[in-house]
Amino acid sequence: MILDQLIWPLLLVFAALVLGPYWLAVLDGLAARSFGLAQAQSVWISPLSRGAWLLTQQTNMTEAPDWWAWRLAPALYLSLAAIGLALVPWSREWVATDIATSLVLWGSVEALATVVIFLQGWSANTLLTLIGAYRYVALGLSYILISMFVLIGVALPAESLALTQVVASQQELWNVLRQPLGLPLFLIVGLALTFRGPFNLADSTDLAGGTSADVSGPQRLVWELARSAMLVAFSGIATTAFLGGWLGPWLPGPLWVALKMLAVLALLAWLSRAFARITPERCVSLMWTVLLPLAFVDLIWAGAEALL
Amino acid sequence: MNTSLFVDIVFILLALFAVYTGWRVFRTDSMVRASFFLLLSFIAVGAIMLLLSAMYLGVAMFFMMGVEMMVMALFMVMFMMNPAGLNPMMMVHQHRLSIGAGIASFVILGAMALLATFPDRPLPEGLEPVSSLGHELLGDSMLIFESAGVVLLATMIGVVVLSGQRGRFGSAQEGSMPPGLEPGGDPAGMPQEDDEAGGGHHHCH
Repeated sequence: MILDQLIWPLLLVFAALVLGPYWLAVLDGLAARSFGLAQAQSVWISPLSRGAWLLTQQTNMTEAPDWWAWRLAPALYLSLAAIGLALVPWSREWVATDIATSLVLWGSVEALATVVIFLQGWSANTLLTLIGAYRYVALGLSYILISMFVLIGVALPAESLALTQVVASQQELWNVLRQPLGLPLFLIVGLALTFRGPFNLADSTDLAGGTSADVSGPQRLVWELARSAMLVAFSGIATTAFLGGWLGPWLPGPLWVALKMLAVLALLAWLSRAFARITPERCVSLMWTVLLPLAFVDLIWAGAEALL
Repeated sequence: MNTSLFVDIVFILLALFAVYTGWRVFRTDSMVRASFFLLLSFIAVGAIMLLLSAMYLGVAMFFMMGVEMMVMALFMVMFMMNPAGLNPMMMVHQHRLSIGAGIASFVILGAMALLATFPDRPLPEGLEPVSSLGHELLGDSMLIFESAGVVLLATMIGVVVLSGQRGRFGSAQEGSMPPGLEPGGDPAGMPQEDDEAGGGHHHCH
Protein backbone atom coordinates (compact mmCIF):
# COMPACT_ATOMS: atom_id res chain seq x y z
CA MET A 1 0.00 0.00 0.00
CA ILE A 2 2.74 2.46 0.99
CA LEU A 3 4.61 1.31 -2.10
CA ASP A 4 1.71 2.29 -4.38
CA GLN A 5 0.74 5.49 -2.61
CA LEU A 6 4.16 6.92 -1.80
CA ILE A 7 7.29 5.20 -3.09
CA TRP A 8 6.53 4.64 -6.78
CA PRO A 9 4.80 7.98 -7.41
CA LEU A 10 7.60 9.90 -5.65
CA LEU A 11 10.27 8.00 -7.61
CA LEU A 12 8.48 8.88 -10.84
CA VAL A 13 8.22 12.55 -9.83
CA PHE A 14 11.96 12.74 -9.12
CA ALA A 15 12.77 10.84 -12.31
CA ALA A 16 10.66 13.31 -14.31
CA LEU A 17 12.30 16.22 -12.48
CA VAL A 18 15.80 15.00 -13.43
CA LEU A 19 15.29 13.30 -16.79
CA GLY A 20 12.57 15.64 -18.09
CA PRO A 21 14.77 18.75 -18.45
CA TYR A 22 17.49 16.63 -20.08
CA TRP A 23 15.03 15.21 -22.59
CA LEU A 24 13.68 18.68 -23.27
CA ALA A 25 17.23 19.91 -23.99
CA VAL A 26 17.79 16.97 -26.35
CA LEU A 27 14.48 17.60 -28.12
CA ASP A 28 15.36 21.28 -28.39
CA GLY A 29 18.67 20.33 -29.99
CA LEU A 30 16.89 18.04 -32.46
CA ALA A 31 14.40 20.82 -33.25
CA ALA A 32 17.28 23.22 -33.88
CA ARG A 33 18.91 20.67 -36.17
CA SER A 34 15.66 20.22 -38.09
CA PHE A 35 15.83 23.93 -38.90
CA GLY A 36 19.38 23.50 -40.16
CA LEU A 37 21.16 25.09 -37.21
CA ALA A 38 24.59 23.51 -36.95
CA GLN A 39 25.77 22.34 -33.55
CA ALA A 40 29.33 21.66 -32.52
CA GLN A 41 28.47 18.78 -30.22
CA SER A 42 26.08 15.89 -30.34
CA VAL A 43 22.62 16.82 -29.05
CA TRP A 44 22.94 14.10 -26.40
CA ILE A 45 26.15 15.47 -24.91
CA SER A 46 25.72 19.24 -25.20
CA PRO A 47 23.08 19.66 -22.39
CA LEU A 48 25.39 17.79 -20.04
CA SER A 49 28.48 19.79 -20.97
CA ARG A 50 26.55 23.06 -20.63
CA GLY A 51 25.40 21.93 -17.18
CA ALA A 52 28.95 21.04 -16.17
CA TRP A 53 30.22 24.36 -17.50
CA LEU A 54 27.65 26.32 -15.47
CA LEU A 55 28.39 24.23 -12.38
CA THR A 56 32.08 25.18 -12.45
CA GLN A 57 31.53 28.83 -13.40
CA GLN A 58 31.95 31.41 -10.64
CA THR A 59 28.81 32.92 -9.15
CA ASN A 60 28.20 36.51 -10.14
CA MET A 61 27.45 39.27 -7.65
CA THR A 62 25.53 42.51 -8.01
CA GLU A 63 25.47 45.63 -5.88
CA ALA A 64 23.30 45.20 -2.78
CA PRO A 65 20.90 42.51 -3.96
CA ASP A 66 18.18 41.04 -1.77
CA TRP A 67 20.35 38.03 -0.93
CA TRP A 68 17.62 35.74 0.36
CA ALA A 69 15.29 36.25 -2.55
CA TRP A 70 18.09 36.20 -5.12
CA ARG A 71 19.53 32.91 -3.91
CA LEU A 72 16.17 31.30 -3.27
CA ALA A 73 14.20 32.32 -6.41
CA PRO A 74 15.65 29.60 -8.73
CA ALA A 75 15.17 26.94 -6.05
CA LEU A 76 11.61 28.11 -5.40
CA TYR A 77 10.79 27.96 -9.11
CA LEU A 78 12.20 24.42 -9.21
CA SER A 79 10.10 23.41 -6.20
CA LEU A 80 6.97 24.83 -7.85
CA ALA A 81 7.76 22.63 -10.86
CA ALA A 82 8.14 19.67 -8.47
CA ILE A 83 4.73 20.45 -6.90
CA GLY A 84 3.24 20.52 -10.40
CA LEU A 85 4.81 17.15 -11.27
CA ALA A 86 3.54 15.69 -7.98
CA LEU A 87 -0.03 16.41 -9.12
CA VAL A 88 0.27 14.32 -12.29
CA PRO A 89 -1.51 10.96 -11.88
CA TRP A 90 0.75 8.24 -13.34
CA SER A 91 -1.99 5.61 -13.10
CA ARG A 92 -5.23 5.14 -11.19
CA GLU A 93 -3.29 4.32 -8.01
CA TRP A 94 0.05 6.05 -8.48
CA VAL A 95 -0.57 9.71 -7.60
CA ALA A 96 1.93 11.53 -5.39
CA THR A 97 -0.51 14.28 -4.30
CA ASP A 98 -4.03 12.93 -4.64
CA ILE A 99 -6.25 15.71 -3.31
CA ALA A 100 -9.79 16.69 -4.31
CA THR A 101 -8.65 20.06 -5.69
CA SER A 102 -5.47 19.17 -7.58
CA LEU A 103 -6.60 21.20 -10.61
CA VAL A 104 -6.89 24.33 -8.44
CA LEU A 105 -3.51 23.60 -6.84
CA TRP A 106 -1.97 23.63 -10.34
CA GLY A 107 -3.56 27.07 -10.81
CA SER A 108 -1.85 28.16 -7.58
CA VAL A 109 1.48 26.89 -8.90
CA GLU A 110 1.06 29.10 -11.97
CA ALA A 111 0.15 32.11 -9.81
CA LEU A 112 3.05 31.61 -7.40
CA ALA A 113 5.42 31.13 -10.35
CA THR A 114 4.66 34.75 -11.26
CA VAL A 115 5.82 35.83 -7.79
CA VAL A 116 9.00 33.75 -8.02
CA ILE A 117 9.91 35.02 -11.51
CA PHE A 118 9.36 38.59 -10.30
CA LEU A 119 11.59 37.92 -7.27
CA GLN A 120 14.34 36.53 -9.50
CA GLY A 121 14.43 39.73 -11.55
CA TRP A 122 13.75 42.22 -8.77
CA SER A 123 16.15 40.90 -6.14
CA ALA A 124 19.27 41.29 -8.31
CA ASN A 125 18.92 45.09 -7.96
CA THR A 126 19.96 45.76 -11.55
CA LEU A 127 18.17 47.44 -14.43
CA LEU A 128 17.60 44.81 -17.10
CA THR A 129 16.64 42.05 -14.70
CA LEU A 130 14.04 44.38 -13.18
CA ILE A 131 12.57 45.21 -16.60
CA GLY A 132 12.28 41.49 -17.32
CA ALA A 133 10.53 40.95 -13.99
CA TYR A 134 8.02 43.77 -14.53
CA ARG A 135 7.40 42.59 -18.06
CA TYR A 136 6.60 39.08 -16.86
CA VAL A 137 4.20 40.32 -14.18
CA ALA A 138 2.42 42.60 -16.65
CA LEU A 139 1.90 39.66 -19.01
CA GLY A 140 1.56 36.87 -16.44
CA LEU A 141 -1.95 37.77 -15.36
CA SER A 142 -3.33 37.14 -18.85
CA TYR A 143 -1.49 33.79 -19.05
CA ILE A 144 -3.02 32.67 -15.75
CA LEU A 145 -6.54 33.74 -16.78
CA ILE A 146 -6.39 31.81 -20.06
CA SER A 147 -5.08 28.73 -18.27
CA MET A 148 -7.84 28.95 -15.62
CA PHE A 149 -10.67 29.11 -18.16
CA VAL A 150 -9.25 26.23 -20.17
CA LEU A 151 -8.85 24.10 -17.04
CA ILE A 152 -12.38 24.88 -15.80
CA GLY A 153 -13.41 23.52 -19.20
CA VAL A 154 -11.85 20.11 -18.48
CA ALA A 155 -13.28 20.07 -14.94
CA LEU A 156 -16.84 20.39 -16.32
CA PRO A 157 -17.21 16.95 -17.95
CA ALA A 158 -15.31 15.35 -15.03
CA GLU A 159 -17.66 17.02 -12.51
CA SER A 160 -14.64 17.19 -10.22
CA LEU A 161 -11.55 19.30 -9.52
CA ALA A 162 -9.38 16.20 -9.02
CA LEU A 163 -7.03 15.35 -11.90
CA THR A 164 -7.68 11.61 -11.45
CA GLN A 165 -11.37 12.25 -12.17
CA VAL A 166 -10.43 14.41 -15.16
CA VAL A 167 -8.53 11.44 -16.61
CA ALA A 168 -11.35 9.02 -15.77
CA SER A 169 -13.84 11.28 -17.59
CA GLN A 170 -11.84 10.83 -20.82
CA GLN A 171 -12.47 7.09 -21.00
CA GLU A 172 -14.65 7.41 -24.12
CA LEU A 173 -13.24 10.52 -25.74
CA TRP A 174 -10.08 12.48 -24.92
CA ASN A 175 -10.52 16.15 -24.15
CA VAL A 176 -8.22 17.09 -27.02
CA LEU A 177 -11.08 16.06 -29.35
CA ARG A 178 -13.99 16.91 -27.05
CA GLN A 179 -12.75 20.48 -26.52
CA PRO A 180 -10.59 21.20 -29.58
CA LEU A 181 -9.60 24.71 -28.47
CA GLY A 182 -8.33 23.56 -25.08
CA LEU A 183 -4.97 21.95 -25.84
CA PRO A 184 -3.69 24.61 -28.31
CA LEU A 185 -4.50 27.39 -25.83
CA PHE A 186 -2.94 25.43 -22.98
CA LEU A 187 0.27 24.82 -24.96
CA ILE A 188 0.57 28.55 -25.68
CA VAL A 189 0.18 29.20 -21.95
CA GLY A 190 2.91 26.62 -21.32
CA LEU A 191 5.39 28.41 -23.58
CA ALA A 192 4.41 31.75 -22.04
CA LEU A 193 4.69 30.54 -18.45
CA THR A 194 8.22 29.22 -18.96
CA PHE A 195 9.05 32.10 -21.34
CA ARG A 196 10.26 30.05 -24.27
CA GLY A 197 10.35 30.64 -28.01
CA PRO A 198 7.83 33.22 -29.24
CA PHE A 199 6.85 34.17 -25.68
CA ASN A 200 10.35 34.53 -24.26
CA LEU A 201 9.80 38.08 -23.02
CA ALA A 202 11.07 37.86 -19.44
CA ASP A 203 14.51 36.40 -20.21
CA SER A 204 14.74 37.67 -23.78
CA THR A 205 17.77 38.75 -25.77
CA ASP A 206 16.48 42.33 -26.11
CA LEU A 207 17.03 42.60 -22.34
CA ALA A 208 20.40 40.80 -22.51
CA GLY A 209 18.89 37.85 -20.66
CA GLY A 210 16.16 39.61 -18.70
CA THR A 211 15.53 38.30 -15.19
CA SER A 212 18.64 36.12 -15.36
CA ALA A 213 20.91 38.71 -17.01
CA ASP A 214 23.18 38.94 -13.98
CA VAL A 215 22.88 35.36 -12.79
CA SER A 216 25.77 32.95 -13.43
CA GLY A 217 27.23 29.71 -12.23
CA PRO A 218 25.26 27.10 -10.29
CA GLN A 219 22.48 29.62 -9.59
CA ARG A 220 21.93 30.00 -13.34
CA LEU A 221 22.05 26.23 -13.80
CA VAL A 222 19.24 25.85 -11.24
CA TRP A 223 17.24 28.61 -12.96
CA GLU A 224 17.53 26.97 -16.39
CA LEU A 225 16.77 23.57 -14.88
CA ALA A 226 13.71 25.04 -13.14
CA ARG A 227 12.41 26.63 -16.36
CA SER A 228 12.72 23.30 -18.15
CA ALA A 229 11.26 21.35 -15.23
CA MET A 230 8.28 23.72 -15.18
CA LEU A 231 7.64 22.97 -18.85
CA VAL A 232 7.94 19.24 -18.08
CA ALA A 233 5.36 19.64 -15.30
CA PHE A 234 3.24 21.58 -17.76
CA SER A 235 3.42 18.75 -20.28
CA GLY A 236 2.35 16.39 -17.48
CA ILE A 237 -0.72 18.48 -16.72
CA ALA A 238 -1.49 18.83 -20.46
CA THR A 239 -1.25 15.04 -20.82
CA THR A 240 -3.58 14.57 -17.86
CA ALA A 241 -6.11 17.22 -18.80
CA PHE A 242 -6.32 16.70 -22.56
CA LEU A 243 -4.57 13.51 -23.71
CA GLY A 244 -6.23 10.96 -21.45
CA GLY A 245 -3.36 10.62 -18.95
CA TRP A 246 -2.68 6.96 -18.20
CA LEU A 247 -5.41 5.71 -20.60
CA GLY A 248 -4.19 3.66 -23.54
CA PRO A 249 -4.03 0.09 -24.80
CA TRP A 250 -1.30 -2.56 -24.22
CA LEU A 251 1.24 -0.53 -22.29
CA PRO A 252 1.08 0.16 -18.52
CA GLY A 253 -0.31 3.57 -17.43
CA PRO A 254 2.91 5.31 -16.29
CA LEU A 255 4.58 4.47 -19.60
CA TRP A 256 1.66 6.01 -21.50
CA VAL A 257 1.92 9.17 -19.40
CA ALA A 258 5.69 9.39 -20.06
CA LEU A 259 5.25 8.85 -23.82
CA LYS A 260 2.50 11.46 -24.08
CA MET A 261 4.58 13.92 -22.05
CA LEU A 262 7.51 13.37 -24.42
CA ALA A 263 5.26 13.97 -27.42
CA VAL A 264 3.97 17.23 -25.91
CA LEU A 265 7.54 18.30 -25.09
CA ALA A 266 8.66 17.53 -28.64
CA LEU A 267 5.82 19.64 -30.03
CA LEU A 268 6.63 22.50 -27.63
CA ALA A 269 10.36 22.32 -28.49
CA TRP A 270 9.54 22.48 -32.20
CA LEU A 271 7.05 25.35 -31.72
CA SER A 272 9.54 27.41 -29.74
CA ARG A 273 12.09 27.08 -32.56
CA ALA A 274 9.54 27.60 -35.36
CA PHE A 275 8.24 31.00 -34.26
CA ALA A 276 10.13 34.22 -33.65
CA ARG A 277 9.76 36.17 -30.44
CA ILE A 278 6.89 38.66 -30.58
CA THR A 279 7.11 42.15 -29.11
CA PRO A 280 5.66 42.65 -25.61
CA GLU A 281 3.00 45.16 -26.76
CA ARG A 282 1.68 42.78 -29.39
CA CYS A 283 1.79 39.94 -26.88
CA VAL A 284 -0.50 41.91 -24.53
CA SER A 285 -2.98 42.54 -27.37
CA LEU A 286 -2.79 38.92 -28.53
CA MET A 287 -3.41 37.57 -25.05
CA TRP A 288 -6.29 39.85 -24.05
CA THR A 289 -8.10 40.38 -27.34
CA VAL A 290 -7.59 37.07 -29.15
CA LEU A 291 -6.63 34.23 -26.82
CA LEU A 292 -8.71 35.20 -23.78
CA PRO A 293 -11.96 35.45 -25.84
CA LEU A 294 -11.01 32.09 -27.40
CA ALA A 295 -10.70 30.69 -23.87
CA PHE A 296 -14.24 31.99 -23.19
CA VAL A 297 -15.43 30.21 -26.35
CA ASP A 298 -13.72 27.03 -25.14
CA LEU A 299 -15.51 27.31 -21.79
CA ILE A 300 -18.91 27.92 -23.43
CA TRP A 301 -18.24 24.95 -25.72
CA ALA A 302 -17.40 22.76 -22.72
CA GLY A 303 -20.52 23.97 -20.87
CA ALA A 304 -22.83 23.34 -23.83
CA GLU A 305 -21.25 19.91 -24.31
CA ALA A 306 -21.78 19.08 -20.63
CA LEU A 307 -25.44 20.14 -20.82
CA LEU A 308 -26.23 18.04 -23.93
CA MET B 1 -3.79 9.07 17.39
CA ASN B 2 -0.54 9.32 15.48
CA THR B 3 -2.15 11.29 12.69
CA SER B 4 -3.69 13.78 15.08
CA LEU B 5 -0.34 14.36 16.82
CA PHE B 6 1.27 14.95 13.43
CA VAL B 7 -1.51 17.37 12.48
CA ASP B 8 -1.06 19.21 15.79
CA ILE B 9 2.68 19.61 15.26
CA VAL B 10 2.20 20.84 11.68
CA PHE B 11 -0.51 23.24 12.86
CA ILE B 12 1.73 24.75 15.54
CA LEU B 13 4.66 25.14 13.13
CA LEU B 14 2.46 26.77 10.48
CA ALA B 15 0.83 29.07 13.03
CA LEU B 16 4.22 30.19 14.35
CA PHE B 17 5.45 30.76 10.78
CA ALA B 18 2.33 32.79 9.96
CA VAL B 19 2.79 35.00 13.03
CA TYR B 20 6.54 35.41 12.45
CA THR B 21 6.16 36.41 8.78
CA GLY B 22 3.23 38.64 9.71
CA TRP B 23 5.50 40.42 12.21
CA ARG B 24 8.26 40.73 9.59
CA VAL B 25 5.83 42.64 7.34
CA PHE B 26 6.15 45.62 9.68
CA ARG B 27 9.83 45.25 10.50
CA THR B 28 11.21 45.02 6.97
CA ASP B 29 12.34 48.11 5.06
CA SER B 30 10.96 47.53 1.56
CA MET B 31 7.47 47.41 0.15
CA VAL B 32 8.17 44.40 -2.05
CA ARG B 33 9.58 42.45 0.89
CA ALA B 34 6.61 43.46 3.04
CA SER B 35 4.14 42.22 0.38
CA PHE B 36 5.87 38.88 0.04
CA PHE B 37 6.21 38.37 3.80
CA LEU B 38 2.46 38.90 3.94
CA LEU B 39 2.12 36.35 1.13
CA LEU B 40 4.16 33.82 3.14
CA SER B 41 1.92 34.45 6.14
CA PHE B 42 -1.19 33.85 4.06
CA ILE B 43 0.29 30.69 2.53
CA ALA B 44 0.80 29.31 6.06
CA VAL B 45 -2.82 30.20 6.88
CA GLY B 46 -3.94 28.46 3.65
CA ALA B 47 -2.04 25.34 4.69
CA ILE B 48 -3.78 25.48 8.09
CA MET B 49 -7.10 25.61 6.23
CA LEU B 50 -6.05 22.47 4.34
CA LEU B 51 -5.44 20.84 7.74
CA LEU B 52 -9.02 21.82 8.62
CA SER B 53 -10.21 19.89 5.50
CA ALA B 54 -11.18 23.09 3.65
CA MET B 55 -9.66 21.63 0.48
CA TYR B 56 -10.91 24.29 -1.91
CA LEU B 57 -10.63 27.38 0.29
CA GLY B 58 -7.11 26.48 1.42
CA VAL B 59 -5.81 26.03 -2.13
CA ALA B 60 -7.76 29.08 -3.33
CA MET B 61 -5.90 31.08 -0.66
CA PHE B 62 -2.59 30.24 -2.42
CA PHE B 63 -3.50 31.54 -5.86
CA MET B 64 -5.65 34.45 -4.68
CA MET B 65 -2.98 35.77 -2.35
CA GLY B 66 -0.22 35.01 -4.89
CA VAL B 67 -1.80 37.22 -7.53
CA GLU B 68 -3.05 39.78 -5.02
CA MET B 69 0.30 40.37 -3.31
CA MET B 70 2.05 40.45 -6.69
CA VAL B 71 -0.29 43.15 -7.99
CA MET B 72 -0.01 45.04 -4.69
CA ALA B 73 3.80 45.03 -4.79
CA LEU B 74 3.76 46.14 -8.43
CA PHE B 75 1.45 49.09 -7.84
CA MET B 76 3.06 50.20 -4.59
CA VAL B 77 6.44 50.39 -6.27
CA MET B 78 4.93 52.16 -9.29
CA PHE B 79 3.15 54.84 -7.27
CA MET B 80 5.61 55.46 -4.47
CA MET B 81 8.61 56.54 -6.55
CA ASN B 82 10.94 54.27 -4.64
CA PRO B 83 13.11 52.75 -7.35
CA ALA B 84 12.11 49.09 -7.44
CA GLY B 85 11.27 49.17 -3.75
CA LEU B 86 14.89 48.41 -2.88
CA ASN B 87 15.59 51.75 -1.21
CA PRO B 88 15.29 51.28 2.54
CA MET B 89 12.19 52.98 3.89
CA MET B 90 10.15 52.95 7.07
CA MET B 91 7.12 50.73 6.62
CA VAL B 92 5.05 52.13 9.49
CA HIS B 93 3.80 55.54 10.47
CA GLN B 94 1.76 57.01 13.38
CA HIS B 95 3.80 54.81 15.71
CA ARG B 96 1.93 55.41 18.98
CA LEU B 97 -1.51 54.97 17.46
CA SER B 98 -0.55 51.82 15.55
CA ILE B 99 1.18 50.25 18.56
CA GLY B 100 -1.92 50.96 20.66
CA ALA B 101 -4.28 49.63 17.99
CA GLY B 102 -2.10 46.55 17.52
CA ILE B 103 -2.00 45.71 21.24
CA ALA B 104 -5.74 46.34 21.63
CA SER B 105 -6.73 44.14 18.70
CA PHE B 106 -4.29 41.41 19.80
CA VAL B 107 -5.77 41.39 23.31
CA ILE B 108 -9.36 41.34 22.00
CA LEU B 109 -8.74 38.58 19.44
CA GLY B 110 -6.63 36.58 21.89
CA ALA B 111 -9.31 36.86 24.55
CA MET B 112 -11.93 35.73 22.05
CA ALA B 113 -9.81 32.72 21.07
CA LEU B 114 -9.17 31.73 24.67
CA LEU B 115 -12.47 32.57 26.36
CA ALA B 116 -15.09 31.78 23.71
CA THR B 117 -16.59 28.29 23.72
CA PHE B 118 -16.27 26.80 20.28
CA PRO B 119 -18.81 24.19 19.13
CA ASP B 120 -17.40 20.67 18.99
CA ARG B 121 -18.74 19.36 15.72
CA PRO B 122 -16.64 16.64 14.09
CA LEU B 123 -16.93 16.36 10.32
CA PRO B 124 -19.95 14.23 9.36
CA GLU B 125 -19.18 10.94 7.60
CA GLY B 126 -18.97 11.20 3.84
CA LEU B 127 -18.80 15.00 3.73
CA GLU B 128 -17.43 16.28 0.44
CA PRO B 129 -16.13 19.75 1.28
CA VAL B 130 -15.65 20.86 -2.33
CA SER B 131 -19.10 19.95 -3.62
CA SER B 132 -20.84 21.18 -0.45
CA LEU B 133 -19.07 24.52 -0.93
CA GLY B 134 -20.25 24.53 -4.54
CA HIS B 135 -23.84 23.88 -3.48
CA GLU B 136 -23.58 26.73 -0.99
CA LEU B 137 -22.15 29.14 -3.58
CA LEU B 138 -24.77 28.27 -6.20
CA GLY B 139 -27.62 27.71 -3.72
CA ASP B 140 -28.75 30.22 -1.12
CA SER B 141 -25.83 32.59 -1.70
CA MET B 142 -26.11 32.52 -5.49
CA LEU B 143 -27.40 36.10 -5.89
CA ILE B 144 -24.51 37.62 -3.92
CA PHE B 145 -21.76 35.64 -5.63
CA GLU B 146 -23.16 35.88 -9.13
CA SER B 147 -23.70 39.65 -8.92
CA ALA B 148 -20.17 40.10 -7.55
CA GLY B 149 -18.83 37.86 -10.33
CA VAL B 150 -20.63 39.76 -13.09
CA VAL B 151 -19.46 43.12 -11.71
CA LEU B 152 -15.85 41.88 -11.62
CA LEU B 153 -16.07 40.51 -15.16
CA ALA B 154 -17.53 43.78 -16.42
CA THR B 155 -14.70 45.65 -14.69
CA MET B 156 -12.09 43.45 -16.34
CA ILE B 157 -13.60 43.88 -19.79
CA GLY B 158 -13.87 47.63 -19.20
CA VAL B 159 -10.22 47.88 -18.19
CA VAL B 160 -9.13 45.94 -21.28
CA VAL B 161 -11.26 48.18 -23.54
CA LEU B 162 -9.91 51.36 -21.96
CA SER B 163 -6.26 50.32 -21.87
CA GLY B 164 -6.07 48.26 -25.06
CA GLN B 165 -3.95 49.52 -27.90
CA ARG B 166 -7.01 49.97 -30.08
CA GLY B 167 -9.59 51.48 -27.80
CA ARG B 168 -12.99 52.98 -28.62
CA PHE B 169 -11.38 56.14 -30.01
CA GLY B 170 -8.89 54.52 -32.36
CA SER B 171 -5.28 53.56 -31.90
CA ALA B 172 -3.76 54.61 -28.60
CA GLN B 173 -0.56 55.78 -30.28
CA GLU B 174 -2.16 58.18 -32.75
CA GLY B 175 -2.81 61.86 -32.13
CA SER B 176 -2.43 61.67 -28.40
CA MET B 177 -1.52 65.05 -26.95
CA PRO B 178 -0.65 66.02 -23.39
CA PRO B 179 -3.23 68.38 -21.82
CA GLY B 180 -2.48 72.09 -21.57
CA LEU B 181 -1.15 73.74 -18.45
CA GLU B 182 -4.17 76.10 -18.41
CA PRO B 183 -7.68 75.29 -19.66
CA GLY B 184 -7.69 75.43 -23.46
CA GLY B 185 -3.94 76.16 -23.58
CA ASP B 186 -1.28 74.60 -25.80
CA PRO B 187 -0.23 71.02 -25.04
CA ALA B 188 2.26 71.04 -22.20
CA GLY B 189 5.86 70.20 -23.01
CA MET B 190 5.32 70.48 -26.78
CA PRO B 191 6.47 73.96 -27.90
CA GLN B 192 5.45 75.27 -31.32
CA GLU B 193 7.84 74.11 -34.05
CA ASP B 194 10.09 77.01 -35.03
CA ASP B 195 10.57 77.05 -38.84
CA GLU B 196 13.89 78.94 -38.68
CA ALA B 197 15.42 76.45 -36.29
CA GLY B 198 15.36 73.81 -38.98
CA GLY B 199 15.20 71.01 -36.51
CA GLY B 200 18.67 71.70 -35.12
CA HIS B 201 19.67 72.46 -31.58
CA HIS B 202 20.02 75.98 -30.23
CA HIS B 203 23.41 76.65 -28.80
CA CYS B 204 23.75 79.63 -26.51
CA HIS B 205 27.19 81.14 -26.59
